[in-house]
Amino acid sequence: MSDKLKQIINKQSEQQDVGLDQSEDIVQLVGFIIGEEEYAVPILTIQEIIKPISWTRVPQTPAYVLGVFNLRGSVIPLIDLRVKFGLSSKNHNDETRFFVLKQGDEVAGFVIDRLTAAIRIKKTDIGPPPDTIASEDSMIEGVGKQDGRILTILKVNKLLARDF
Amino acid sequence: MDEFQEILQDFLVESFELVEKLDEDLVELESTPDDLELLNGIFRVAHTVKGASSFLNFDVLTHLTHHMEDVLNKARHGELSITPDVMDVVLESIDLMKALLNTIRDTSSDAGIDVSECVVKLDKISGGDGDVPVVEATPVVEEAPVEVVEATPEPQEDEIDYDNMDADEIEAEIERLLAQRQEEDKAKRAAKIAAGEKLPDIPSESGDEASSKPEAKAESKPASAPVATTPKPKATSKPKETKSSADAKAAAPAKRAPAQVEQTIRVDVKRLDHLMNLIGELVLAKNRLIKINDDVEERYEGEEFLEELNQVVSIVSLVTTDLQIAVMKTRMLPIGKVFNKFPRMIRDLTRELNKKMELEISGEETELDKSIVEEIGDPLVHIIRNSCDHGIEQPEDRIEKGKPEIGTIKLKAYNEGNAIVIQIDDDGKGLDPDMLKNKSLEKGIITEKEADSMSDKEAYNLIFKPGFSTAASVTNVSGRGVGMDVVKTNIEKLNGIIDIDSEVGKGTSIKLKIPLTLAIIQALLVGVQEEYYAIPLSSVLETVRISNDEIYTVENRSVMRLRSEVLSLVHIGDIFEVDRILDTSEYSYVVVLGLGAQKLGLIVDSLVGQEEIVIKSLGDYLKGIEGVAGATIRGDGGVTLIVDVVALMQIAKGVKASAATAQASVAQISNEKTQASDYKIMIVDDSKTDRMIMRKALDPLGVTLIEAADGQEALNILKSGDHNFDAMLIDIEMPRMDGYSLASEIKKYNKYKNLPLIAVTSRTAKSDRMRGVESGMVEYITKPYSSDYLSSVVQRNVNFKSEFL
Repeated sequence: MSDKLKQIINKQSEQQDVGLDQSEDIVQLVGFIIGEEEYAVPILTIQEIIKPISWTRVPQTPAYVLGVFNLRGSVIPLIDLRVKFGLSSKNHNDETRFFVLKQGDEVAGFVIDRLTAAIRIKKTDIGPPPDTIASEDSMIEGVGKQDGRILTILKVNKLLARDF
Repeated sequence: MDEFQEILQDFLVESFELVEKLDEDLVELESTPDDLELLNGIFRVAHTVKGASSFLNFDVLTHLTHHMEDVLNKARHGELSITPDVMDVVLESIDLMKALLNTIRDTSSDAGIDVSECVVKLDKISGGDGDVPVVEATPVVEEAPVEVVEATPEPQEDEIDYDNMDADEIEAEIERLLAQRQEEDKAKRAAKIAAGEKLPDIPSESGDEASSKPEAKAESKPASAPVATTPKPKATSKPKETKSSADAKAAAPAKRAPAQVEQTIRVDVKRLDHLMNLIGELVLAKNRLIKINDDVEERYEGEEFLEELNQVVSIVSLVTTDLQIAVMKTRMLPIGKVFNKFPRMIRDLTRELNKKMELEISGEETELDKSIVEEIGDPLVHIIRNSCDHGIEQPEDRIEKGKPEIGTIKLKAYNEGNAIVIQIDDDGKGLDPDMLKNKSLEKGIITEKEADSMSDKEAYNLIFKPGFSTAASVTNVSGRGVGMDVVKTNIEKLNGIIDIDSEVGKGTSIKLKIPLTLAIIQALLVGVQEEYYAIPLSSVLETVRISNDEIYTVENRSVMRLRSEVLSLVHIGDIFEVDRILDTSEYSYVVVLGLGAQKLGLIVDSLVGQEEIVIKSLGDYLKGIEGVAGATIRGDGGVTLIVDVVALMQIAKGVKASAATAQASVAQISNEKTQASDYKIMIVDDSKTDRMIMRKALDPLGVTLIEAADGQEALNILKSGDHNFDAMLIDIEMPRMDGYSLASEIKKYNKYKNLPLIAVTSRTAKSDRMRGVESGMVEYITKPYSSDYLSSVVQRNVNFKSEFL
């Protein structure tokens, strides 16, 4: 029994070592779908992911700002990424989630269509955004390729920046 | 360095507090020059600041305060009488002292301000009649000014004397001094300073501390000097002599009451702010608890545990309220803190303007939140200056008019409900409405037409317009035409209201009404369509219900008559871009907002009630949205926006669309049915077959039919606002959201209050029917039904025009 236990422990520590070794050139992301495409943001920028709750409309804001919602006592803006990315808004369904992103003091909730998965991707698999859309103002950090799918990695600071 | 910073901070806090009190005392002193107690107090301030500043090596400040001290010392010994001229110099030196303290605060050094001129003046005063050798102390004091800077060597000799003694000798010496001092009465105290074994006097003290700290430390050991700010060398004797004063007050004259331990502690404002935030959270939680309690009460009426729950909830809410008040009180400061500087100001103005004025202050103990106390100072300065400059007449004019020669300005503060009122009255010439109007016309602030229709009260408020100044000549007291404008904006920033009243020849009275605190406020919750907004109650004057034909249109703007006034109206929906979907109600609720002098009627759909709300910011992402001051979290966990009344008044000026007519036209468009397909009916049923059957039954009518497969979908279609439905056919048994829930959801929206909901179901029990009625269904059709029956029920409910058949 104890041998077995040891084995397991050894195995685990080995795995951890492997994890550590790779951590330097591995990026952890969380993927989500908006419209037809898959996007991702670094896992550490996500404060939490919640199911849709009610929100309050705020006047005199662009259409993609849905309003504000109450997250355990904090009033947080809610942004519809579909509208922000030029798609038509869609009714929320069972798969809709609010992504609460945080960077520094800036916090905002983003409506996404569906969550995919937590993704570990090698840095070498991430390429720069296509030249045609690469610019300072672009919201795209880079494009990741994994198992034949393409992920658009977004700049969180751009998402959280007010642009109206 | 850190330690130094810490000491410096303490020094600054203390000094500013002392100086603040000084102004008031000095002015009082001028009227009662013989008040020894007062003199002593003032002297002690100068002395304390000097002691501490020398310890911190602020030479300029030390130099100045030292000379001040000389003058004051003479005065309290009766060698110098306080004449207005003397007072001018003393006040000037205090101003310099303030300037120096400010410089120190900003730069940690006291360089850059020239005090020599003032010092010369002080010297002249103290030297002028200082030769009178009433008390032996005089020579010492005389000597002092010369010594300030070079004093260093001499006291050091004193110390060497002390150094040469061993501990026992020092003890003995102290004992002796102590005994001696206790014997001597107050008048001879100064004499004793010179006589009593060369006890280092005031100047030497400064020298010591600045130059010989190490020695000082060594020396202070036997006496175990307890307080850091106590000048070390003299610590040997002083702490024992005057234990009551923690600061350098060796020469403080009066034997003061024995140790009065102050029952206060200093707390960082940030901590209080944090505490206030936490209380805010608690208040929100309390509101929520109360709401849940109400719900539970409704559902489990008569159950025993309810009573217990009720008790707990009321205790929690009671304690929360008490706690909130208690914490608010810790942030409260007496308004006297602000009032203190006015006697001095009036005094200065009296001399500057050659008028005779008196200030009467009352209610200075009235307390206000710290943040408000800080903001209220400037507006009050402007108002009082204005009263002095423009209100009070020259003495000869006053006598001519049969008024007392001396003009009176009354400054009083008192509580009124949840607000504090600060009232500034003067008995000057008052405001002349006609003159104000003419002036405004000249300057193009108002048009002739506006001037004609203006009431006196409105005319008074012209003084708050930017660019208005009534003084014919611009003095440096007031009259640059910005003052009163600033007053208004500042007061409005605090959610305050200004009221102004005047009578020509009798005087003017200005009332500022300011809420007690900024973080938690009372608000009126109003509804528009399905949205809610919170309006700070302090800006709400009243609410009225009017019928729609009481709304008139003048120059493309809605107005109403409120008693004798004409009130301009704006619909809250126009300001906050709320889509107004038909509202058939023939009544409107008008919230009359008052802000400073302005008034505005805000039309809302419903009044929800008064609630205590905690102001939360919308964060960086959404800050600066016009008309929204912040948000609050309601008892049900939802977020409600708080209306920024100041901005709202601004926006309202631009809103031309007449609320009433817009409403009417919307109503007409949606009501007008020109063909059968204008009627829209939604069919909600999870069974496709059933939907088909209904469709078949209604198709012959030619109405537009829209289908939804369950309650949720139906609600979404309804909410999207793409269609204006005239009726809904609802199945009861459905996945996700059943018919009852759907009906009660729909009925929550104001705009759907009158939408006919028809239940179509196979449930036939009476209880089901009852539930249907409760949830807002108007008809109950049981399956199976005939097509004709369904058709006739629908026709009846949508008022189907027979010509379309």
